Formats: sequence, structure tokens, C-alpha cells
Amino acid sequence: MDFSISEEVNSAQQLAQQILGDFTEVDKLKRIEQQEERFDTELWKALAEAGLLGLDIPENNGGTGLGFYSLTTLCEEVGRTVAPVPVIPVLVSAAGTLRRFGTDAQKEQWLGAIASGSTLVTAALEEYNNEDPGTPASSAEKMDGGYSISGTKICVSLAQTAARILVSARAGEELVVALVDPRAAGVSLNAQVIMTGENRHELVMDKVQVPTSDIVATGREAVAAMEWALQASRTALAAMAVGVCDKMMRITGSYTSEREQFGRAIATFQAVSHRVADCYIDVECLRLVTQQAASLIDQGRPASEAVAMAKIWCGDVTHRVSQASQHCHGGTGVDRDYPLFRYCELARQIELTAGSSARLMGELGQDICAEYLAKAG
Amino acid sequence: MNIELTTQQKALQQEVREYMKTVMTPELIEEAKNPEYKEGGGPEFRKQYARMGADGWIGLSWSKELGGKELSHVEQYIFTDEVVRSGFAYPFLTTEAVTPVIAANANAEVRDEVVGGVKQGKVTIAIGYSEPNAGTDLASLTTRAERDGDDWIINGQKMWTSLGNYADYVWLAARTDPDASKKHKGLTMFLVPTDIEGFSLTPVHTLGVRTNATYYSDIRLPDKYRVGEVNAGWKLITGQLNIERLSLFTHGQVDSLYQGVCEWAAETDAPGGGKIIELPWVQHNLAKVKTGLEVVKLICWKQAWAMDQGPLNMADASVAKVYSSEFFVELYRMLLEVMGQAGTIAKHSPGAVLQGKLEFRWRVGAVLTFGGGTNEVQRDIIAMAGLWMPRTR
Repeated sequence: MDFSISEEVNSAQQLAQQILGDFTEVDKLKRIEQQEERFDTELWKALAEAGLLGLDIPENNGGTGLGFYSLTTLCEEVGRTVAPVPVIPVLVSAAGTLRRFGTDAQKEQWLGAIASGSTLVTAALEEYNNEDPGTPASSAEKMDGGYSISGTKICVSLAQTAARILVSARAGEELVVALVDPRAAGVSLNAQVIMTGENRHELVMDKVQVPTSDIVATGREAVAAMEWALQASRTALAAMAVGVCDKMMRITGSYTSEREQFGRAIATFQAVSHRVADCYIDVECLRLVTQQAASLIDQGRPASEAVAMAKIWCGDVTHRVSQASQHCHGGTGVDRDYPLFRYCELARQIELTAGSSARLMGELGQDICAEYLAKAG
Repeated sequence: MNIELTTQQKALQQEVREYMKTVMTPELIEEAKNPEYKEGGGPEFRKQYARMGADGWIGLSWSKELGGKELSHVEQYIFTDEVVRSGFAYPFLTTEAVTPVIAANANAEVRDEVVGGVKQGKVTIAIGYSEPNAGTDLASLTTRAERDGDDWIINGQKMWTSLGNYADYVWLAARTDPDASKKHKGLTMFLVPTDIEGFSLTPVHTLGVRTNATYYSDIRLPDKYRVGEVNAGWKLITGQLNIERLSLFTHGQVDSLYQGVCEWAAETDAPGGGKIIELPWVQHNLAKVKTGLEVVKLICWKQAWAMDQGPLNMADASVAKVYSSEFFVELYRMLLEVMGQAGTIAKHSPGAVLQGKLEFRWRVGAVLTFGGGTNEVQRDIIAMAGLWMPRTR
């Protein structure tokens, strides 16, 4: 048992903290928010130059090869700074899956380019009423030289800019994971504004021809790939939530220490300080379950239960810390000239992405039931 | 970052688990049915405790000079977790919290008598801190110790002196300087043999367990039983609080309740067909318990690991206390809800589920949120030490 973090992982996190801090001053964030696509390309370039886009990409593919755990610390820092960079869809869901399940040619073609920041590959894992990419409603039909894919994916990040979008579809009983070119015939992208005010896209695929060179995995390999992608994405969301919630709580601790009412700082009322202390407890709990899930994935160990619990904590803690932070700020917290609202919106977005606490709690309960019924014979 | 037990750590866990099965003899289980001996202290308890001493299981974390094995905190936690899980009334406060302090601060004669006795499983020590008017504000305690030649004359009353009915000593905090500039600067620690003239007690029956009020009436105590310097008692009290907490909230004791209820629910028919565990609301409660329990496990491991790296961060120690104590209470409720009325049937009554452990644990658990440092004070500490917020008024 070892909770220590290696020096390399630590310095990568510190470097990320510094770069992200430099690029996320409020004016800069406001400017990026005016853009059609909420993506800070200069920041992305800076992260690439620092080697931080390739944390979980092997060295022979142009990355730094520090592993998945290190990548989750980058996600945490992005959360802490609400930086407009697509670390989860590009680096975790797409690149992480390609690195583990892609063909050698695909790794060669995409991973180095992602690490250098020259190309974006994003992922579209969710459909309407379906957050599990292992059981998509989208369909694939085998044809000469590849597959023809039809179906709808929702809330896709960077759908217009990415060179490819990683999707899953079902060919009869078989699962297929493919890279879809958003410029291919049969693809339409419909703008969707989400809670954070960010533009995303509904991806509608109508018999899109995907060549064999863009098929990532089929059959059992594809099932494993989507299991990995879902677990890794949930864990990365939990890590981002650690950063978001830690920051919201600290903003609130500082604000209540300065804000005076009845002639004293409101933090000197136990009713206020204890509410912030409860956030601290919540964040510590979330940090521990997230670190556990991330280190299991990092070591390639079975992680499904640990991930489910991390995402459940993630959903609960983002909700509680966000509400407590808003409450303790009074009107200041809801003012868009004050930084808190960005954290609250992102917190809610994370909570509802890739499975809510309620859904995962229900699934975990079913797993417990199956486990103990099997034991009882 | 590798949050799993190593092969050696798992082997130690297994070794302690197997050994504790031999300690929990049928005679001991029978003896514990007697309300007088439920918290230990009966002849079979003494026999098994002494056997643990003879087999070298007591004081594993102590220094080699004291006959210990200098186990790491992680190993010590694994030992504690398994002992608590077994249900044996092992006197952790004696062995882990108080004895190392006595070993470091007592005079040679008393050290040999007490530390040697604990090591052999022959001596237990009760804690004499709280008083009727000194609980959370412990430094305001008024039990007096006055110097008289080579002795001290002790007068006062302590509350919640658990194990006082069979302990050999009380580890007593007394006021030796009533005029000290700050209340906590006038306190001194003593070991009071419970067979000394002037010591008496009355039982206090709580919602859960039996404890005691203890009385100190003109006790003439030789100076050799003073531990540490005069008026320097406060740091001996506070120095071991984190170690105390590490034995209060362990994972195994509640994990075994969760597993027991899951097994029960998988074997028990639901009224409408199928098993209890197939009901959605049962699954929901079990999943909530599991999700909360996971953090108890991680917090315990992290604390033990952190104590091996250096002094424990104050805010982290308070997080562990508040989270665990409040979750334990929730866990008892959620598991009792699964069993419904059957969960209220007491041990030894027909139809009791899991030997009525849950209804009993819930009654004992009522003390957790205020015992060992009330949670309001812990939250104050978190706000100040973790978030740099100003002191509340």
C-alpha cells in the first residue's frame, strides 16, 4: 500500500498547474466564451509543447509515457482552472482507447499528432438515453473495404474541428469501434448548446462509409475497448471534479473569511464554517476514491467497481459542494462577473456526463445482488 | 500510487484473522452473555488476553526496547482491524494509546510494573479524563491532586470511566495548579491503582454498553505513580488522540456487518417471491453502504500510511473522525432498514438476525459522533487547519 505520487507525476502536475493558471485569467476565459467553439488553441499548443498532451501516450508514439494516473492529474488541474481544453474527450476517451486498442497503423497515424497538438481526435460515447458506448443503438453494416455506420450521438465536443470522431455501433450481435471523419458523406452536425453555454454537436450518421483503416476494433476487442473508454472517462471526470470542487470550496473559504455581516467575518459563524468544512470532507472522500480508481486503471487492474463508486461520489460531491458554495456566497455567487458560476456549471455538467449517481447506484445494487445470489447458490 | 495491500500485508491480515478465531473460544462467547462481562474482564477474557500476551501479540507497535516489534502504522492498523472484526474486547486504549506514553514518561519502577504487565496481557488501564462538568472542554477539569510530602492527595470524580470495573489502573488527569495562566497548563497525569484506598465506582448503564462513574476520595498516591512532569499533563493527553481514533473507526467491523446483511438478504425469501436482495430499494441501500464503506477503508489506510511518513495533518485526522463517525451511524440505519422489524430483535431472542449485532451496534454507535472529540470541534479544526478560515466564536 503506497499513497505516494512519483516525482515525475508530481512535476508534470505542477507544470500543468502553472501553464493552466497562466492561460485562464478571467478576461481570457470571457474571450474564449465568445468564440463559436469554446477551445483555447493557444493553451492547447502550450500544453503540447510542455509534453502534457502525451502523458498517457507511449514514448515511441511521441508521448511522455507517464501513464493514465498522470493524465488524471492533468484533468484535475483543468477542473481547478475551468480551462477550455478538451482533455477528456481527446486525451482520455479517444487517445487512451486508440493507444490500448488501436492498430499499429492507427497509433502511428494519430497518437503522435495528438501529443504534438497538430491533430484532434475526439470521442462520441453518448446517445439519447444511453450513456454506455458498449450498448449503442447506432448500427454498423459490414461492406467491402469497411463498415457503413448509421445512428445519432449527442453532445459531441469539437465535432467540427476534429479529424476523426471515435464512435461505437452494433453490427448485429457484434460491437464495432470506428473513427468517423466528420467531413464524410452522410454526416450531419447539429449545434447543441449545453449547460455551460458551450456549443457542442449532435452527430447524425446516415450510412457513413468508414474504411477498414479507420476501424479500431470489432467483437470482443471492441467490447473491451468501450469498457475501458467508459471507465477511463468516468475516472477522468471524477478527477476533474476533484479540481473543480477543491477550487469552489477554497473560493468559498476565502470569501466567507472576508465578507463581513453583523460586524464580523461570516466565517466566524459556525453555521457557515461548518458548511465549508463539510465540503472539505466531501472533497477528501472524492479524492481518495478517484485516486483508487485511477491507480487501478493505471496498473491495468480490474477497476469497474472502484470506478462506479468514484463516479457516484463525483456526482454527489459536485452537487453538494456547488450548492454549498453558492449558498455561502449569497448573491455574489450567482453574479456572472464573479468566477464561481463557471465552476458550478462545469460541476453539474460533469455530474450528468457518463452516468449519474442515481443510475450508477442502481447498477451497483444489481451487481451486489448478483454477487450474493451467486454465493448463496 | 498503489492502494492495495501487499502480499505481506495480506498475509499478516490472514494470520491475525485466523489467530483471533482461536481467541474467541466458545467459553468466551458464553461468558459475554453475562451482562457483567460483556465488555470484557471475566475469567475467560483474562485467560485469552494473557494468552495473546504470551503469544507475543500485545504491543506489536512498541519499540524493541519495550519488547515490541516496531510494526509500522499500516501493519498496526491491519492488526487492529482484524482484532475489532473478531469481536474480542481487546483494550486498545490500554495497549496502543496509554502504555507507550507511560513507557516514555513514567519512573522506572512503575514502568516495569505497568508496561511489563500490559505486555503479558495481565494489566488493563481505564481512562480518567472526562468529568461531570468537563467533557469537550476537557482542560476545565477539577479533580485535584495536592502534594503532601512524597505523596499526592487526590480528590474528585470522573465520568465515563469505561473498563474501570475491571481495570488495574486509571490513567488520571488531575489539576495540580489551580492558578495556572491557562487552564490546560495546570494538569498532571497519574496512574491510580484501582485497589487503592479511597477509590470507588458506580456503574453507568448507557444506551449501549456499561461504563462507570469513578470517585477519588482522599486517595494517598505515592509520587512514583505520577507520569511526566508536574503541570505538563496536557501534551500527554493530546499526543495520543490520533492513535486512539485509528482504533475507533476501523473498516473490518462494519464491512462484516455489510457482508452479513447481504448474505442474509440473498438467502431470505421476499414476500412476493424471489429473495429480499432482489428488491430495488434493498439494492439501493446496499449500494449506498458499499459506496460509503469504500471511503472508510481508504481513509483508514491513508491515515495509517500517512502516520508512517510523519506527523498526521490535523485537518485530515479530523476529516477521518467526522466522516467515519457519521457514516457508521448511517450504515447501521441503512442495514437495519433492509432487515426491518427483524433487525430489532435482540441477541439470544428467537428470530434475531446476525445475532442482533446491528441493533446493538446502533445503540453503541450513538456515542461515536461526540466521543473522541466532538464533531463540532473537528469541523472547527478542518475550517482552520484545512481552509485557513478564522476561528469561530
